[in-house]
Amino acid sequence: MKTINYAKAACLTLVLVLTFVTGWEVYWRQKDYVLAYNDDESLWAYTRKQIYLSSPARPVLIGSSRIKFDLSLATWQRITGEKPIQLSLVGTSPRPVLTDLGNDPNFKGILLIDVTEGLFFTPTGAFPEKEADKRVAAYPNWSLSQQISFQINRVLEANFLFLDDLNLTLSSLLHLLPIPPRPGTWGGPRFPYEFAINGFDRQTKMSDAFIADTSIQNTVKREWLEIEGHVPKGAIAGPPLVDILAQTKRSVEQIRARGGQVLFIRTPSDGPIYAGEKQTYPRAQYWDRLLAYTQTPGIYFSDYPALTRFTCPEWSHLAPKDAARFTQDLIPIIEQKMGWSLQRNSPASLSKTSSSTL
Amino acid sequence: MVFNSYTFVVFFAVILVLHNLPFSWTVKKVNLLLASYLFYALWNPPFILLLWLSTVVDFYMAKLIAIEQRPRKRKLLLTVSLVLNLGMLSYFKYGGFLLENFTALLSTMGIVFHAVKPDIILPVGISFYTFVTLSYTLDVYRRKFAPEPSFLNFALFVTYFPHLVAGPIVRPEDLIPQFKTPRRATTEQLSWGLFLLSLGLFMKVTIADGLLSEHADLIFGLPFPVQTLDAWMGVLAFSGQIFCDFAGYSTCAIGVSLCLGFELPDNFRYPYAAIGFSDFWRRWHITLSTWLRDYLYIPLGGNRHGTVRTYINLMITMLLGGLWHGASWTFVVWGALHGLFLCIERFWRETAARRRAIRAERAADGSVVSQSSVIPPMHFSSLLSQFGLAILTLFLVNITWVFFRAPTFGGAMLLLLSMFRVIPNGAPMLTNLAILTVSSITIGIIACHWLMRDSSLLSLSKRLPWWGLGLGWSSLLILVILTQKSSGSFIYFQF
Repeated sequence: MKTINYAKAACLTLVLVLTFVTGWEVYWRQKDYVLAYNDDESLWAYTRKQIYLSSPARPVLIGSSRIKFDLSLATWQRITGEKPIQLSLVGTSPRPVLTDLGNDPNFKGILLIDVTEGLFFTPTGAFPEKEADKRVAAYPNWSLSQQISFQINRVLEANFLFLDDLNLTLSSLLHLLPIPPRPGTWGGPRFPYEFAINGFDRQTKMSDAFIADTSIQNTVKREWLEIEGHVPKGAIAGPPLVDILAQTKRSVEQIRARGGQVLFIRTPSDGPIYAGEKQTYPRAQYWDRLLAYTQTPGIYFSDYPALTRFTCPEWSHLAPKDAARFTQDLIPIIEQKMGWSLQRNSPASLSKTSSSTL
Repeated sequence: MVFNSYTFVVFFAVILVLHNLPFSWTVKKVNLLLASYLFYALWNPPFILLLWLSTVVDFYMAKLIAIEQRPRKRKLLLTVSLVLNLGMLSYFKYGGFLLENFTALLSTMGIVFHAVKPDIILPVGISFYTFVTLSYTLDVYRRKFAPEPSFLNFALFVTYFPHLVAGPIVRPEDLIPQFKTPRRATTEQLSWGLFLLSLGLFMKVTIADGLLSEHADLIFGLPFPVQTLDAWMGVLAFSGQIFCDFAGYSTCAIGVSLCLGFELPDNFRYPYAAIGFSDFWRRWHITLSTWLRDYLYIPLGGNRHGTVRTYINLMITMLLGGLWHGASWTFVVWGALHGLFLCIERFWRETAARRRAIRAERAADGSVVSQSSVIPPMHFSSLLSQFGLAILTLFLVNITWVFFRAPTFGGAMLLLLSMFRVIPNGAPMLTNLAILTVSSITIGIIACHWLMRDSSLLSLSKRLPWWGLGLGWSSLLILVILTQKSSGSFIYFQF
């Protein structure tokens, strides 16, 4: 081997790679890109580990993207002193996670289940269920090595914008190429990066740029309509629906039998999305039936004037400011419905605190 | 721990520093051994007990076999080693499969038997380290290799972390002699090792995981037929994925080991430019194919007992080779197809050789003209025909990959029928971008393998100017950084 060649090549490589990384990071910072954490298997597994510390003030949240946008974890923490454990998964049915929690003998906590009808009542084995199944299946195999990598990655992601695996990976960048679509195929939804910024606590929120720019909001609206065109028409009914209800009831009862409590929540949507949901999943046949079958309380946003005053910029999720107000208004409703005292300074919690200190 | 993880970056940096500190050679080897146990334990700590059991038993069995002179006693000691190693492998890898087939067999006989599905977790790398320890015991038994007196050297040979979980499957003579004298990587070895590590990561992270796996997973996961183009793209995506995943792992392993000053054997030599299946197996997973040749095919008799036995031995070897990859009948069919293609190739070569000999004999006698047919004889020596044969081989290899990857026979048949347009109205599934990605990478891999088939990366690097190598190397790393996403596992870990 020619010694000098390899040493020089290694030095040149180091210089070029460092230059590229620096330039790439600076480029995205100049474009006002927002720092985000990857909502991947490891972050979910890390959050899943915390479920045993659940309490009414620190519930476990499962569902899809709506509860990730709509329930402000920071606002909840400001009011109750505790931050909920966010286990919801974007674009998935919460049923696999519910089954997982039902089967976990050590979970005895409080569970809030977000119901987005199109995802919650997805047929067994459909894509939204499979995606959630993957996370659930990966959790027991989250090795020590992966946990160490996660801790290192956490530090890196807190400092480098370009480590965004949703928008800045090679495959995401390839999608920006002007390649015409192939007739009859669909590569899945492509949302603008301003739409969903994920935090380490798995809170998802829209960026300021998204709130300010209706053209970006319209892009997301078009994506919803595109998705609408690719999902199977009509809602699940008959025996498959009964199976879903029975499966849900079984898991809810498992959790209750251990002393846990469950509450269903239907968060706001509007425009054509809400109209389509009402038409495809009539409330009496799905939401009301779910509550009755499982004998579980639920909060449907349109039953409460305080929860009905919000507008979703892209028809399906709340903007961060509205999410804060929604959460603030939701807490007293939950307290009333469940008999919990969640607010730090509520008389009930004060008396509880003083009695426990005596 | 996988090479494509931050944990490994930290782990490897610490090991490199420790290996270059002025400790005694024994201390350095102890460091490497402990590091290897840590490397393995960070997956599933309890399974390290199996590794210890295999190491201790084989170390002492080999010593006893070497001392023992009575043939029957030697055989008994070898049997103990084989039963332990193959028993562990059978239980963990084939327990569920055997029970499932036993139940199905009883059911065909009208006997209803409901077995509880065993909840067995497959220890990572068990197929690999079992073959490593077996080769040691068998070589000592055949007096090909003297038993290693140092337990530390032997334990390190079995456990050495670069090869531990997915090969290359090392032989005693590959590694044990290297542990006997102090070693430290030279600057060239360190640089070249780091380059190989970068190349392996590029193959795994960027090509296999970043650009191909999604499309292969989509097509192989569909329960309905797809268009012919989509079916072929799915298979080609898997073909590229499995090569880049596994060869990527081997390249990383060889590179990591070289950074520590130890050389591991080559495991891949541009297999998608193979001309024929015997050539393919000289280029694909070389350490497994040579292991099967030396410890299975030759002991079965190889080609020493006539034509029919040779074909039978080939089929047995490839069937077991298929089963080594996984406890499923689809792997057996994959192995059977490879065996069948090897047999056909052997038959064709032997027939052609016989005809050539007869023609030469008759031509020498002057009894007949050398070309007696109106159809001119086919010559396969031109570059174009060689390339055509390589493409034909690759075509057939891709057919076998369908069985390797499909989760069920039904799935494999559905895909094959779509590939050959037997089902004409399948659904289009892949986007133009996906088709463009898969076809570009496939063409790139074929071109690269064809151009490099008689060469090596090292010799190519020597012909490049240092800045050319630096530009190429940095491009690989930049693409790895850009890809980011990568699975926490390699396909061959499940074997």
